[in-house]
Amino acid sequence: MNCARCLLRLQSPGILAASVRAAVRRTAQHQLSTVPSGITPHTTYSQTLRHFHGSTALSKSQAVPTDQEEKDKSLITYDDLFERVARETKTKATFNRVVDVFCNRDIRRRGHVEFIYAALKKMTEFGVEKDLTVYNKLLDVFPKEVFVPRNFIQRMFNHYPRQQECGVQLLEQMENYGVMPNMDTKVLIVQIFGEKGHPMRKFQRIMYWFPKFKNANPFPIPRQLPEDPVDLARLCLTRIANDLDSKVTVHQTPCSDITESGEEVTYPLIVGIQSPDQMELLARHNPERPVFVEGPFPLWLRKNCVYYYILRADPLPPDQKVELPYDPERSFYFPLQLDLDLDRDLGDDDSFDVDDVDEGPVFAMCMTSQGNQATLNQWISGLQENNPVLGLVPTLFRLEAGPAELLGVSDPDPGHGYRPGGAEETQTGAETEIVVEEEEVHPLSQRGKQ
Amino acid sequence: MALPRATSFTPAVRLLGSCYKQTPFVPHLSAGWRDISGGEYRRPGQPRYNTPIWKRFDFHKGVQGMQKHFTLLKEEFLSRWIGPEGKPLVEHMLEQTRVIWEFRGPESLDQWTVSSDCEIGGRSEAYLKLGRNNTTCLLYGTLCSVPPRDGETRYSGYCTMRSKPPKGSFDSKKHHDWTSFNTLHLRIRGDGRPWMINVGAETYFSHQKDDMYSYFLYTRGGPYWQDVKIPFSKFFLSSRGRIQDDQHPLWLDKINTVGFTLGDKADGPFQLEIDFVAVCNDRAHTEQFAYEAYKRNPEV
Repeated sequence: MNCARCLLRLQSPGILAASVRAAVRRTAQHQLSTVPSGITPHTTYSQTLRHFHGSTALSKSQAVPTDQEEKDKSLITYDDLFERVARETKTKATFNRVVDVFCNRDIRRRGHVEFIYAALKKMTEFGVEKDLTVYNKLLDVFPKEVFVPRNFIQRMFNHYPRQQECGVQLLEQMENYGVMPNMDTKVLIVQIFGEKGHPMRKFQRIMYWFPKFKNANPFPIPRQLPEDPVDLARLCLTRIANDLDSKVTVHQTPCSDITESGEEVTYPLIVGIQSPDQMELLARHNPERPVFVEGPFPLWLRKNCVYYYILRADPLPPDQKVELPYDPERSFYFPLQLDLDLDRDLGDDDSFDVDDVDEGPVFAMCMTSQGNQATLNQWISGLQENNPVLGLVPTLFRLEAGPAELLGVSDPDPGHGYRPGGAEETQTGAETEIVVEEEEVHPLSQRGKQ
Repeated sequence: MALPRATSFTPAVRLLGSCYKQTPFVPHLSAGWRDISGGEYRRPGQPRYNTPIWKRFDFHKGVQGMQKHFTLLKEEFLSRWIGPEGKPLVEHMLEQTRVIWEFRGPESLDQWTVSSDCEIGGRSEAYLKLGRNNTTCLLYGTLCSVPPRDGETRYSGYCTMRSKPPKGSFDSKKHHDWTSFNTLHLRIRGDGRPWMINVGAETYFSHQKDDMYSYFLYTRGGPYWQDVKIPFSKFFLSSRGRIQDDQHPLWLDKINTVGFTLGDKADGPFQLEIDFVAVCNDRAHTEQFAYEAYKRNPEV
């Protein structure tokens, strides 16, 4: 204890005598209480040191043993706090209430680091992981101006590392969920950790890189996907078709009907897309060669997966390929073919030395809510109105086994072409063995029409 | 994946390399042990490959190796008389495009390594195979972003495909030299997921060995092929998954690997079909570097 007393004397004389006396009394008590319980004097020494180092608010705190008890189960209590307050509903309001309860319980916010870690873990459960105001509120739990370094030594060394780590963790979670911090966040960080702490650095990094890559995606997806399945199908089909001329046709809107015999019949949604070029290709298709309905192929829109089907033909064998000459009268305004060998230099060859991948043409695409053969047959019948050649061409169905069946089973509501993430996860567990591109021609049925 | 050690280092680097290894005598043996014994990289969970070397001795394999390496040595020696990189000088100077990888047969898949987060205990799966008409490569599998329950891993869920670094005769180091090009050109067909392209360049110091230059590869999805051109000036420096404060342009003279990584946290099946990977010289693109290199980001 001598050391401690020396340190006490070394402290500036400006400290109030009362507080010093209180501290000395406390150390005495402390010694009395702890030495019999078998703790070495070394630990007591460090404990007292910490008390001297801390703020005046800390010196007025309670005795050490109770503090120790509280710390032992701190994490459990904070998890418990969330469970207790939000027992029935887990919403933003209840989350905010938990934070308020914690802030009002203790003016010193003891255990706030543990509380913030617990809250960060619970955010997904409450559905607030993308809410900036909640993050700001959580950052507000940190006591202000306590962790700001006040001299160059504190600034040089890692001042309050646990708290700074916690702040960085909070910002990292914001980053992971794509939440852009705002000016309030910056003000809070400056108040809590100072101008140059690690959380401030993290904040600056986010603010530098987020806007750089915000619009990097050349095929942007709206943040909120349309709720209406027809709109969703339209969005997906125009996205994959990549042709402004193409026309979306809703062949059948989803509805359910009750027949005379009392059975309920549901008509699934069928939305197709076809461009004039594809129609032209299909019109020129040799009627003796079959066309195929293939699918389902997955398409991902952020975290949602939808499936589409395509109508295509096999690639032509090389001897049957014919180069169609350009019709010079198709456009009177500009020539469609130029056979000029303009001044090409030796190094002006920008083509790639690869063979083209030989694949059959795609004639049309569609999305349905039920991927069975009857539904796709309806789609082909609908296509036949504009493409009369389909009546002559045999149509084969090459449907993959896995997702098509699962789509019918796990999707009782015919109005939904996609499933939310939870359903998706169970489905992927079931179809791990399925090789994506390997298809069996098992429901091979030939449609002779007219 | 075993990198050859100290074969074609310059003397200075060899000195540094010996400093980096703690004890100068033993690690040479231990580092090259996998090369000598011919064992594969041991994935987590696999049992240790304990068969002693004299039971696995294969004379035929040794002869094949010698044949391969001496053929490579002869090619390296003779190609210098033709021109730089084995091409005539005119062709080399006027070259505007170069196809680096194309997939025309099963042996082209040997130049790639596929891995996923099962290396760190995750549950994603990734496989590589040839496409339907054997002219493309198809990378497929399932992504699962549940972190392993080891108490310290916080994020998981990636699948990646990476080219093996080129090797010369006797496993000496070789690099891709793309200094006359400025754009990466890919022909791909994805399923709408965003990917990341990682380019690994040769570095001088060993603490830079995790440096990678990355950029995003957005796929449209659908049955059509997609031509993607990414200028090398867009690539940003990251190390161990963290984007770095001071950015530098990618030096194209010593490129080791190119990789594709998926980690978009959307659990489910994925696929990416690649027709070819090429570099080209886009004369309309004059940008040197897309990020501020004159100050640190954030400025300190």
